[in-house]
Amino acid sequence: MQSSRLLKLIIIALLGTISMVLLFVNFPIPFLPPYLKIDFSEVPALIAGLIFTPVAGILVEAIKNLLYLLYTGAGDPIGIVANFVAGTLFVYPVALLYHKFKGKKTIVTGLVTGTVVMAIGMSVLNYLIILPAYSWFMGWETMSSGVKLATVVGGVLPFNFIKGVILTALFVPLFVKLKPWIDQKRMSFH
Amino acid sequence: MDMSNSLLIGQYVPSNSFIHRLDPRTKIMIIFFFVVFVFFANSAPSYAWLTVFAIGTALATKIKLTFILKGLTPVWFLIIFTFLLHLIVTKEGEVLVEFVSFSIYSDAIQQGIAISFRFFLLILVTSLLTLTTTPIEITDAIESLLQPLKKIKFPVHELALMMSISLRFIPTLMQETEKISKAQASRGVDFRTGPLKDRIQAVVPLLVPLFVSAFKRAEELAMAMEARGYQGGEGRTKLRELKIAKIDVLSFIVFALVIIILFFLRA
Repeated sequence: MQSSRLLKLIIIALLGTISMVLLFVNFPIPFLPPYLKIDFSEVPALIAGLIFTPVAGILVEAIKNLLYLLYTGAGDPIGIVANFVAGTLFVYPVALLYHKFKGKKTIVTGLVTGTVVMAIGMSVLNYLIILPAYSWFMGWETMSSGVKLATVVGGVLPFNFIKGVILTALFVPLFVKLKPWIDQKRMSFH
Repeated sequence: MDMSNSLLIGQYVPSNSFIHRLDPRTKIMIIFFFVVFVFFANSAPSYAWLTVFAIGTALATKIKLTFILKGLTPVWFLIIFTFLLHLIVTKEGEVLVEFVSFSIYSDAIQQGIAISFRFFLLILVTSLLTLTTTPIEITDAIESLLQPLKKIKFPVHELALMMSISLRFIPTLMQETEKISKAQASRGVDFRTGPLKDRIQAVVPLLVPLFVSAFKRAEELAMAMEARGYQGGEGRTKLRELKIAKIDVLSFIVFALVIIILFFLRA
């Protein structure tokens, strides 16, 4: 009992580390501003969410962002919180659906749901909280709702959508390769 | 895949200054309160006073000031951008300069400078923490500061354990990522060119061995810890004990004085 709990903690910690390492392997997408970068750091969180519980996926996201904070300093605290929230919005639905209805098809449904939840959730949060928080932190004039709407519709929404699609395009073949392995690991923890 | 070597140690710069030797909890708490009180500055003297304190602390770390400021390079861009934005957007006060269709107002300059200073102070002081404290020290300090949360069953020890394990494995896993990506590149996998779809596909053979080997490592580590009698946080002793020394108390007193003077300098 104790043993599998410790092993679980260690695995989640290592997946968090991989996630943080992958944060530095990013590439910007053409046509979008350079600060919107795609990286694959959500993948280890997805793996944790599928093998253990949805909460394990959130823990991996938390560790990734804490490590990033410790290593790069607090230059952009809001960006770090936003990354955590976006990752959670993406990973949680996927893991939740997978644990409810297992199977290969569920993973596609889950990833699509995760993409939609993340894209819409981040748009709403940007409009209501993140953009106002940025303008407060940087001492900019409060953005008018027109400017906020333009930023969300022109930047945040398509970015998160593209990010979700790319992650889906990556995770489906990865999952097909890893499925037997994931199932075997899952069995050893249940 | 270029991962800078600097990431292996984070931003930490070893030295024997008294700032380095301060208890990490002291540093975290002082920086936390500094970040809060920066927002109370509202006049030129109050900003000047906080800048004197921040630069003074930076000098006391014995790290070259030019090195610290260079480390803030990505942020300089934001500071300048913020300043310029203020020049354009703010339309109050006297007109100072007038171009054909554009004029700069006195309030714009004032506000722009004030906000840029606030931003600069926040970044400078928080980066002093990561410059003078190793990530593992910060983790120890966070574990200690979060102790009260144990009362509401928050798993403080487990969280700290996960953070220390993660920190320990960052260099290892970074090297491994690099090794695997080189191994795959030598087999003809191309991460950089070609259509987006191919590049995404190229990441799959990079990730699979990374996950599998991480699980192997985890199993070995869990076994090794159990064999040495690890049983969770209860009654566990520490290799690195945190102790509040005279120098910490002194730092708190000096910082309190700085803040009291700040309130006298407010407009």
